[in-house]
Amino acid sequence: MPAEVHVTIRDETDIVTARQRGRELAAIHGFSKTEQTFIATAISEVARNIVAYARRGEIVLATSQDQGRPCIVVVARDEGPGIQDVEVAMRDGYSTSKGLGMGLGGAKRLMDAFDLISAVGKGTTVTMKKCVR
Amino acid sequence: MADTTFAGTDLPRRAEIEIDEQEVNRRKQFLEFRADDAEALKSLEPIAEQYADPVIEDLYRHFLSFDETGGFFRDPKVLERVKRLQREYFVRLTEGDYGADYVRNRLGIGTVHERIDLAPKWYLGAYSFYLRAVATRLLEAFGKEPQKAFSAFLSLMKLVFLDIGLAVETYIAARDRTMRKQQEAIRELSTPVLQIRDRLLLLPIIGVIDTHRARLITESLLRSIRANRARVVVMDVTGVATVDSKVAQHILQAVAAARLMGASVIVTGLSSNVAQSLVALGIDLGTLNTAGDLQGGIEDAERILGYRVVRAAETGRGPQLAERR
Ligand SMILES: Nc1ncnc2c1ncn2[C@@H]1O[C@H](COP(=O)(O)OP(=O)(O)O)[C@@H](O)[C@H]1O
Ligand SMILES: [Mg+2]
Repeated sequence: MPAEVHVTIRDETDIVTARQRGRELAAIHGFSKTEQTFIATAISEVARNIVAYARRGEIVLATSQDQGRPCIVVVARDEGPGIQDVEVAMRDGYSTSKGLGMGLGGAKRLMDAFDLISAVGKGTTVTMKKCVR
Repeated sequence: MADTTFAGTDLPRRAEIEIDEQEVNRRKQFLEFRADDAEALKSLEPIAEQYADPVIEDLYRHFLSFDETGGFFRDPKVLERVKRLQREYFVRLTEGDYGADYVRNRLGIGTVHERIDLAPKWYLGAYSFYLRAVATRLLEAFGKEPQKAFSAFLSLMKLVFLDIGLAVETYIAARDRTMRKQQEAIRELSTPVLQIRDRLLLLPIIGVIDTHRARLITESLLRSIRANRARVVVMDVTGVATVDSKVAQHILQAVAAARLMGASVIVTGLSSNVAQSLVALGIDLGTLNTAGDLQGGIEDAERILGYRVVRAAETGRGPQLAERR
């Protein structure tokens, strides 16, 4: 199995592919069904943001170990418009597209670790991690 | 038809797959394509220029002698153009600098093949033709030094196999994409709204709800509510494995729209995994009327509509529904 899985994100079908890959990877590494769904949902959120706000980008899925526990690392990268104020964007209910505004905050709650780096005009990178409990 | 699609070759094409510098290097390592191979190829540039036209002529003579490949080039204008592109392709093999740019240049080719529906067996055959044609010309060009011709040929073969890999992968990726699009289209067409009793509709949702499909589902739901003067709708999402905030929003909007039309919606089949994800997402489905499974949902709906299930013994007939007084 490859060390990393790359999924190019350009449209909604790619969102489905990305979260299916995430689910498969999580299943192989012993995550419970509920955790698999959490991971797939979090991937869906960040992939959807790529399609909605940056038009294209990629999702990279990798695995690591944390004190003997297998972990999944999800990186969502785009070279879209970036986010002006990350703190505001993370706020529940904040949306510039009449969405629910729960995607970023929600993904953070679904995963164990969440990090968002963004530069206006350069792009956005979200890195998330979840380990088997 | 084939001609017009092939004529689109000059349009900017979106490559199906993306390959970064690191990945290109990895592939070259595996092919054992090294700096001296690049050098060797680059030194062939004058020879390539010299032989490009006759090789391309041979190649198209070969293509045209088979219906499966010749069919694409019946139009002389198209033929001229693809020959020109083919020449560029050929000469590019000896222009050096085989990095990410080179790969990008190659990636469009498989996409075009998929688009014109040219199966890999034909373009693999074309690569073989190329290699043989070039081998012959190299022997000719190197005259008394066949050893050099052979070594140059090996370098070329590595590069051509890099190209073949890219072409095949692109073809597969394009095919995958087409298939996914078709599956989506089929699913879209199969979002039935079923009337299961007077005033009671069932909306089974299977597969993926994206923005486009959500709109179709809502539209057909509202149309059916009006047509059947429905009062209760059971929306079954057993077939939906992942519900993210966007999908949840679509569901909430469909429910709200149905409510405005005087119908209440019972959502069934939310798995506990999906329900827990929604809780973690922070999405409140508290306003939704839910039931564990489809059966329970239909029973709830019947209750709302004033039906009650009566055992056969009470009526003297088979199990049936009786209108509650
Ligand atoms: N990849 C991204 N590029 C640019 N802006 C983004 C990106 N992801 C999120 N945003 C911004 O952050 C806001 C909040 O995102 P999110 O929590 O997913 O809610 P929603 O997508 O429902 O609006 C978005 O409305 C958008 O303005
Ligand atoms: Mg979002």
